[in-house]
Amino acid sequence: MPRHIHIVKVHHLTLSFPTRKDPNPKPILDDVDFGIRDGEILGLIGNSGCGKTMTSLAIAGLLPEAASITSGSIKFAGENLLEMKPKARRAMLGKDIGMIFQEPSTALDPLMTCGKQLEEVLTAHKDNQLTPEQRHKTITEMLETVGFTNAEEICGRYPHQLSGGQRQRVLIAGAALLKPRLLICDEPTSSLDTVTTVSILALLKDLCHKLHMTILFISHDLSAVRGFCDRVMVMKDGKIIDKDTASEILSHPKNTYTAELLTNARLDTRILGLEPANADYSKSPVLTAKDITAGYGRSLFERGSKKSGDNNILHDVSLEVFPNEILGLIGGSGSGKTTLIRSLLGLLPHSGTVNIKSTSVGAIFQDPVSCLNPAHTIRWHMEEALRASGKAKTINGTGSRSERKARTLARIIAVLEECGLGEKYLSRHPKELSGGQRQRVAIAMCLIQEPALIIADEPFSSLDASSSAELLKLMTDINRELGTAFLLITHNIHIVRQICPRVLVMDHGKICEEGITTEVLTAPKSECASALLEAERKIHGI
Amino acid sequence: MKSKTGYFIEKLIELILTLLVVSLLVFAAFSIIPGDAARVMLGPNASEAQVELLRAQLGLDKPLIVRYGSWLLGIITFNPGTSYAFNMSVAELIGQRLPVTVGMSVIAMLMVIIISYPLAVVSARKPGRLGDQICSVIGHVLFAIPPYAASLLLILLAGSLFSLVTVGNYVSPKDDFFGYVGCLLLPSFAIALPKIAMSFKFLRSSIIEQRASDYVRTSKSHGLSDLKILIRHVLPNSNVSSITIISIILSDILGGSLIVEQVFNLPGLGRLLLMAIERRDFPLLSGIVFYLAFITVILYFLSDIAASLADPRIRLK
Repeated sequence: MPRHIHIVKVHHLTLSFPTRKDPNPKPILDDVDFGIRDGEILGLIGNSGCGKTMTSLAIAGLLPEAASITSGSIKFAGENLLEMKPKARRAMLGKDIGMIFQEPSTALDPLMTCGKQLEEVLTAHKDNQLTPEQRHKTITEMLETVGFTNAEEICGRYPHQLSGGQRQRVLIAGAALLKPRLLICDEPTSSLDTVTTVSILALLKDLCHKLHMTILFISHDLSAVRGFCDRVMVMKDGKIIDKDTASEILSHPKNTYTAELLTNARLDTRILGLEPANADYSKSPVLTAKDITAGYGRSLFERGSKKSGDNNILHDVSLEVFPNEILGLIGGSGSGKTTLIRSLLGLLPHSGTVNIKSTSVGAIFQDPVSCLNPAHTIRWHMEEALRASGKAKTINGTGSRSERKARTLARIIAVLEECGLGEKYLSRHPKELSGGQRQRVAIAMCLIQEPALIIADEPFSSLDASSSAELLKLMTDINRELGTAFLLITHNIHIVRQICPRVLVMDHGKICEEGITTEVLTAPKSECASALLEAERKIHGI
Repeated sequence: MKSKTGYFIEKLIELILTLLVVSLLVFAAFSIIPGDAARVMLGPNASEAQVELLRAQLGLDKPLIVRYGSWLLGIITFNPGTSYAFNMSVAELIGQRLPVTVGMSVIAMLMVIIISYPLAVVSARKPGRLGDQICSVIGHVLFAIPPYAASLLLILLAGSLFSLVTVGNYVSPKDDFFGYVGCLLLPSFAIALPKIAMSFKFLRSSIIEQRASDYVRTSKSHGLSDLKILIRHVLPNSNVSSITIISIILSDILGGSLIVEQVFNLPGLGRLLLMAIERRDFPLLSGIVFYLAFITVILYFLSDIAASLADPRIRLK
């Protein structure tokens, strides 16, 4: 194939989802025009729903059936992709264009060993006739290239036997197996912790040099592309509104929207008006947990055996949360953060004691999509939360049925407004809300119960930078105005630095460091805290 | 990490415990229901002394626990005693009738699998399109027909109107295997019809769900063809969840065949069961019920094993 300056040239691409009712809807991609230079790493940045993923799917030819390209062209190495037959385009996938995606935990077939799945890439392309031995050799070599020392063993493993980072490496190996010229990475690190993210980014960069690959890197986190991308494009509402070299965009953003994204990514406390919590350490704590030990998966037959002790994920964890405090809890994936939360909430049998002073504790979780019942309206969710709290009577007071109902409704609306959602959201269903709005509903459902403590388990990880910033602001506002304490679990150390006066660091089911945030994060004493900080420094360049 | 044999042994212990509980329930049920076998056998005119004598002969005067013990021993050695009504060994009686019930269940199950899989695949290819709509409507209609009604309809259509088969004829598999299969086809189809609809609906939604999953997207990005993705990824994954449904359907079919035998006048376990109930024939009755329960429990056990073979996540926890 001849070399071109631009390996991919997208020319005035417009794409929409026409339906029978609305044959000419608002386009998802609006006159998108850009080129990907051969050998570069191009970042494509924007909030969720801006059209980044659609752009990448259009290049790969994996658009959903309902999508329709109304105008424009996409050229790959000089050939117009949109005029090619579906079969020819499919043959390009894996061979010329490789892809990796956001969620490595579900991106591999759970019933097939990693080796078999990688082998499919080779057998799917007919011009690549290799003997089984050659195929095996190619696969193990690629697995070694992506950083596995035990490639043979990985081949025989099933996806559930690998960690998130390992799965993403297997997926990268699959995408790079036939040495495609273009690798599309759609938020490959957004569900990974900071330490793993750093290693995956380093691997991608390494592959880019070794295999002479061009990378299109999609992310919502502007600061994550620092030091990784050569050039960056910013997308908003289906349009590319800004493009420049990475260093120029990150240090001197000219476009106001780019500047806003940058502010959100950096969580600039002054601009966002965030204030660290003002905790009251003289009062007695709202939550005291002592010597929590817990684990999973003991079936009837294993319970009595001596091995059961090995299943424990948490080992003698103790912590206290004080009134008004925002306590940060950080740690890599698998360090036991979520197990601890489940134990604190009483969702998991555990030994040790948990004392909660207030009558109710709220909790918000990582994935706001599956946390709300899709069959019901927001109003139903709020009423349900109120009923569950047992405080409905005190709010309703006495009076006729309609009076009580009106008072309940007024209270619900007041709480929703506190969370930045108005009365008009009452009748909406979860699917009609954005991720950030859903997370607000989850917070509102906590607030209506008037808890003294809200436990937030990675509430930002599925949100884009702008929604995260808004949610963070909401949390600090609630903390300041209502005095609600938060236990914030996150892998984003930057957030902890900005709003948590105190922080706990977890590793291997133990709390390995605990102290004043500024002290822990400037001079960590434990190894795991240093590792987390080092990774964060590499990504954000702080 | 748990080994394959470890899982197997665990399931086997569960199976044995389940069978013990089942035996206890069956025995308890027949000991509690009113009606005296000796009285029924001898008729209303027999004297109290005659009845007492027969009770002693049958062992009905012994304490419950002793009777349970000897009954259980008989059941597990496949020698559950002699039928009061037929004066024949229960094992022999059941052995004679079993080919009808089991043959019908097997044929019906094959029909369910052979018909519902292709329909589900076609339907799930383009959900909401015409093909899918037609399949779904047919599915709804089939689902609504109970097996006995389907039997009557089929007899009317195939037997009377078009004279395709002779209804009510039964050939033993020893005499003519194909004749045996032939005479079971129609009743099997009657049992299979609603199950086809059930299995179709379940498979369809399972295939649609799997097709939308992330690993299918990964396979597409690897350049695999739709057919390969279907065969290598989508169907195996939907099979994992269908194994449970299939085992439920199979035990349903066993129960359903008891009724359909009546309509088609086939000498199966269902008719034997009815006779045993009418005559308070405790050894026969408890034998049939226990062995049917036994087959069902074994089916669930096999489905657990099959599921673990199909899904490494169960096998290698």
